[in-house]
Amino acid sequence: MNTFKALLQREYWEHRGAFLKTPLIMGSLMSIFLILFYLTVEQFDLRVGGGQYIELGSATMDELDTSGIQSAIDIFMLFTGSIFHFVLFIILFFFLLGSLYDDRKDGSILFWKSLPVSDTQTVLSKFTTAIVVVPIIFTLGLMVSHLFFFIIGSLIFLLNGINPFTILWSNINFINNWGAFLVGCLAQAAWALPIYGWLLFSSAYSKRRPFLMAVFLPLIVGFGWYFYNAIVNLEVLKVGVFKTIGIVMAKATTPFTSGMGFDLESVDFDPTQQTSGELIRSMLNGLTNPSIYYGMIFAAIAIAMAIYVRRFRNTT
Amino acid sequence: MSHILTAQNVNKKYGKFQALKDVNININKGKIVGLIGPNGAGKTTLLKSVLGLDSCEGELKVLGIDPFKRRADLMKEICFIADVAVLPKWVKVEQLLHFTKQTHPNFSISQAKHFLTKTKIKMDHKVKELSKGMTAQLHLAIVMSIDAKLLVLDEPTLGLDILFRKQFYDNLLNDYFDNERTIIITTHQVEEIEHILTDVVFIREGEIVLDANMDELTNSYFEVMVNQENYEEAMAHKPLTMRKVFGKYIMLFNSTSRDLIESLGEVQRPSVSDLFVALMQEEDQA
Repeated sequence: MNTFKALLQREYWEHRGAFLKTPLIMGSLMSIFLILFYLTVEQFDLRVGGGQYIELGSATMDELDTSGIQSAIDIFMLFTGSIFHFVLFIILFFFLLGSLYDDRKDGSILFWKSLPVSDTQTVLSKFTTAIVVVPIIFTLGLMVSHLFFFIIGSLIFLLNGINPFTILWSNINFINNWGAFLVGCLAQAAWALPIYGWLLFSSAYSKRRPFLMAVFLPLIVGFGWYFYNAIVNLEVLKVGVFKTIGIVMAKATTPFTSGMGFDLESVDFDPTQQTSGELIRSMLNGLTNPSIYYGMIFAAIAIAMAIYVRRFRNTT
Repeated sequence: MSHILTAQNVNKKYGKFQALKDVNININKGKIVGLIGPNGAGKTTLLKSVLGLDSCEGELKVLGIDPFKRRADLMKEICFIADVAVLPKWVKVEQLLHFTKQTHPNFSISQAKHFLTKTKIKMDHKVKELSKGMTAQLHLAIVMSIDAKLLVLDEPTLGLDILFRKQFYDNLLNDYFDNERTIIITTHQVEEIEHILTDVVFIREGEIVLDANMDELTNSYFEVMVNQENYEEAMAHKPLTMRKVFGKYIMLFNSTSRDLIESLGEVQRPSVSDLFVALMQEEDQA
C-alpha cells in the first residue's frame, strides 16, 4: 500500500503521451532538423561548389577558437532548454485544467471516489505531478535529446573526417547547461505557483468549461481594475492586474528570465547575453523576490479551495 | 455492532427543493436491501449521503462513521458501484488492479484475477476496448475482491442485456454475499432482484414510505384472484389496487388477517413491483 505513489503513477499512466512522448518528439525533431540542414548544405555544396566548401570548412574547423565553440554549444543548449520550458508550461497548463474536470466529465470520478483516497490526496497528487514529476521527466527528456543530437552531429563530423571529440564533446558543458534547465524548472514552478493553483481551482470548480473560467475570469478582473482606476481615479495608465498576470506568465513560460526584475522590460530571454552559470545564479536570486511569497499564498488558498470544492463535485 | 447504517432525521435540500425529508432508517448486518423509488424520488441523493459524496443534515452514520467528514476512512470498509460510474477509459486492466491494490487495504488482487479468468477480459486490455457488459464484469470483479462490510450498488446493471444482468446477480449472490456482508441495491428492474432481497425500502418524494423485510411483506400484503361472485364483498375490504384479467379481479390487500383474505379467493404473494406500484398510487390518492 502506497497511496500517494500510486496516485502519481496513475497520472503518469493517464498522461504518458503528453509527459513522456512530447519531450522525446521534440528531441527527435531537433536531430531531424540537424540531418535535414546537413543534407541541404551538402546538396547545395555538391551542386554549386562541387563539394569543396564542406571540405574547406572541415579543414578550418580545427583552427576554430574553442571558446567560440563552447559558447555556441551553450547557446544551443540553453535555447533548446528554453523551448522545453515553454512547452512544459503549456503541457502543465492543459494537464492541470483537465485534472479535476475530465474525470467528472466522463463519470469515472465515482470510481476514484469509491477508493479510500481523500480529496486532499487526489488534489495534491495532481499538484505534485505538475511541480515535480513532469519537470523531472522533461529534464531527462532534454538530456536524452541533447545527447542524441550530439551523437548525430558526431556522425556527421566523422563522415567529413573531423574528430568529434576534440571539436564537440570536449567543449560541451553538460553540468552547467542541464543544471540551468533544472534550476529553471524550479524557478518556473515557483513563479507559476499562482497559475497552477488557479488552474486547479478552475478545474475543480467549473461545471462545464474550465478553460473559459481559468482564462476569462482573470481578464474580467483585470478590465474591472483598469476601468475602476480609469473612471474613478482618472489613471488611464494603471494596468496593475494585467501587468502582474503578464509578468507571472512571462516568468512561468520563460523561467530563464525569472532572475531579472519584476517589470515588463526584463522578460525577454537572450541566451547570448548570459552564460549558464550566471543564469543559474540570477534565477536563484530571483527566488528571493517577495512577489513569489504572495504567489505562494495565493496558490495555497486556491488549492485549499480546490480541495474543498472537490468534495462536493461528483459529476458535472 | 449490528447496525451497519443508521439515519435519524436526515434532510437534504438543493436550494428550495427538499430532496430528502426526515429520513429514518436502520440497516442491519447480513441484509440485502432493495432501495426502490421512482425517478427523482431521492434514491441517489440518499446514497450519495451514505457514501460521503455529499453533505446532509441530521444524524447519519455508516459503520459508526460520518460519511461526508471521513469518506476516505469509510471507503476502506465499504465499496460501491454508482449508476453513472464508469471506469476510466484510458486505463489498462492490469493498471487498474495495481492501483486498487496500492490504495485499498482490503483488496485482493489474486481474487480479482481469479474472477477475471472466468471472463473474456485480458490483463492488457484497455477499458475503452471492453464492451459495456465486460466493463461491468470488470467493475464487479474489483468490487467483489474487496473485503467490504457494505456494498452499495446504484443501478449497477443499467444498459446491460439480460444475460449479463442475470450473471451479474448470480455472481453477486454466489461468490460474494455471506451473512457477514450487507448489500444495498437500487434498480428499476425490481423483478430481477426481488428474489435475492431480504428487505425493501420504498422512497417517494424524499420520504421513506415503506421499510420492511420480505417476511413482513408476505404476512401483510396479499394478492387475491377474486371471482365475480365475491366482487362486492372484496371491494368492501378496500383493496389497494385492482385489475381485471380474464374475467377475474386481481386485488391487492393490506391486511393483518390472512384467513379473511383467503375467503375471497386464491391468495398469492404480491410481487415487489406490483406492491411498489400500489403504494405509489395510494400516496397519489391520499
